[in-house]
Amino acid sequence: MMLNLFDQFMSPTLLGIPLMLLALSLPWVLYPKPLKRWLNNRTLTIQSWFINNFIKQIFLPMNTEGHKWAMLLTSLLIFLITLNLLGLLPYTFTPTTQLSLNMAFATPIWLTTVILGMRKQPTHSLGHLLPEGTPTLLIPILVVIETISLFIRPLALGVRLTANLTAGHLLIQLIASGAYFLFPLMPAVALLTSTLLFLLTLLEVAVAMIQAYVFVLLLSLYLQENI
Amino acid sequence: MLSRAVFLSANFLKGSAPLGAGLVHAPRSLHTSSQSLAPVPPLPEKPGKVRHGFVPEEFFQLLYPKTGVTGPYMFGTGLIIYLLSKEIYVINQETLAGISIGAIIIYAVKKFGPSVAAFADQLNEEKVAKVQEVKDLAMTNLAQAIENEKKEQWRVEGRSMLFDAKRNNVAMLLETNYRERQHMVTNEVKRRLDYQIALQHLNRRLEQEHMINWVEKSVISSITPQQEKESIAKCITDLKALAKSTQAKAVI
Repeated sequence: MMLNLFDQFMSPTLLGIPLMLLALSLPWVLYPKPLKRWLNNRTLTIQSWFINNFIKQIFLPMNTEGHKWAMLLTSLLIFLITLNLLGLLPYTFTPTTQLSLNMAFATPIWLTTVILGMRKQPTHSLGHLLPEGTPTLLIPILVVIETISLFIRPLALGVRLTANLTAGHLLIQLIASGAYFLFPLMPAVALLTSTLLFLLTLLEVAVAMIQAYVFVLLLSLYLQENI
Repeated sequence: MLSRAVFLSANFLKGSAPLGAGLVHAPRSLHTSSQSLAPVPPLPEKPGKVRHGFVPEEFFQLLYPKTGVTGPYMFGTGLIIYLLSKEIYVINQETLAGISIGAIIIYAVKKFGPSVAAFADQLNEEKVAKVQEVKDLAMTNLAQAIENEKKEQWRVEGRSMLFDAKRNNVAMLLETNYRERQHMVTNEVKRRLDYQIALQHLNRRLEQEHMINWVEKSVISSITPQQEKESIAKCITDLKALAKSTQAKAVI
């Protein structure tokens, strides 16, 4: 049982061939490419509308330099949301439960923002290490704390996403197993557990979307600080 | 449903790379045939018909001649039972998780599907309406321009009458002016002629008076004093005689 529970998080292989690439490229086939038409079908219209609205919302408070990042962050969002939501289907593998993937997204982008900030406006970036209005005695300690918080950001981003999704999937498995095994023994309790499972799945849908959005939002905030 | 995914990805491949046309069965191979890119075939307005959300209607039509209406359902039931009984598909906790996520998906599609579709349609409608407004405005402007042009043409027709009237006016003015001047000339000439006549009259009168005066003078000068005495004596005798006759008449 314990082995089964964590099997879902193992990288998928088929006869020794890793299928991670297949799992990662699944979102690519699900989104239609915008055609050279003026009026599109409903799917494309909704997709374009959603992407436009998202870009407007994220990049409105940013100055023009940061607008170059629109494509990166939007495609990251769509990718993460799709991976998360697809992982909720039974028997699917969610790549975002792998810490390696999430760290691979978080660290380079965060590092880019830091390096950009240090290059373009070093004093301003270093100034972020000390919040306004701190008493003079606390300054050294606070600088150290802020530096630590700066370096922990990629770790936080990656681990947040991984932990949320892994925990959600684990819970779903656990509660589903509970309901499944209780069903022949105590059907009423199994029914309650099924209700819990239903609510948990609803929560997981929300969490899947929110975590992806938070990931991208935090990256855009780090960009805003440094650009 | 999977066929749709194939078609979608096929379309995507076709558009994405030059290899695409060769990789996918494309009845309209644009770069080898003589057809051009325009006019582009219209997009289907409605998605393909599906029953129960994911089974295409064509599947039912395919099986209808051989097995009637219940054929596909029997096929589906049989398939499911086969998978379950042979334990090709094992029921475990994932099934339960699948049921709950399936229920959520079905509920979401049923509840929010029509409104999302209506929203998408509304977005497209707004786009079309904006451009349609421009087109309509242009059309009304052009119709107005046509009306104005027709009015101008009608005005042009009437212009010849206007010109005739004006011409008449001018001719009348000229005529009047001419007559006036002629009248003036006549008057002037008459005045001058009258002057000459008056002058002649004056001359004649002066001559007459002069002549009369001269005649009188010569007559008076020709009367000698003898004659004058005789005439005066005669006048006195005449007067006496007259006085006598008058006295006699008065006494009578």
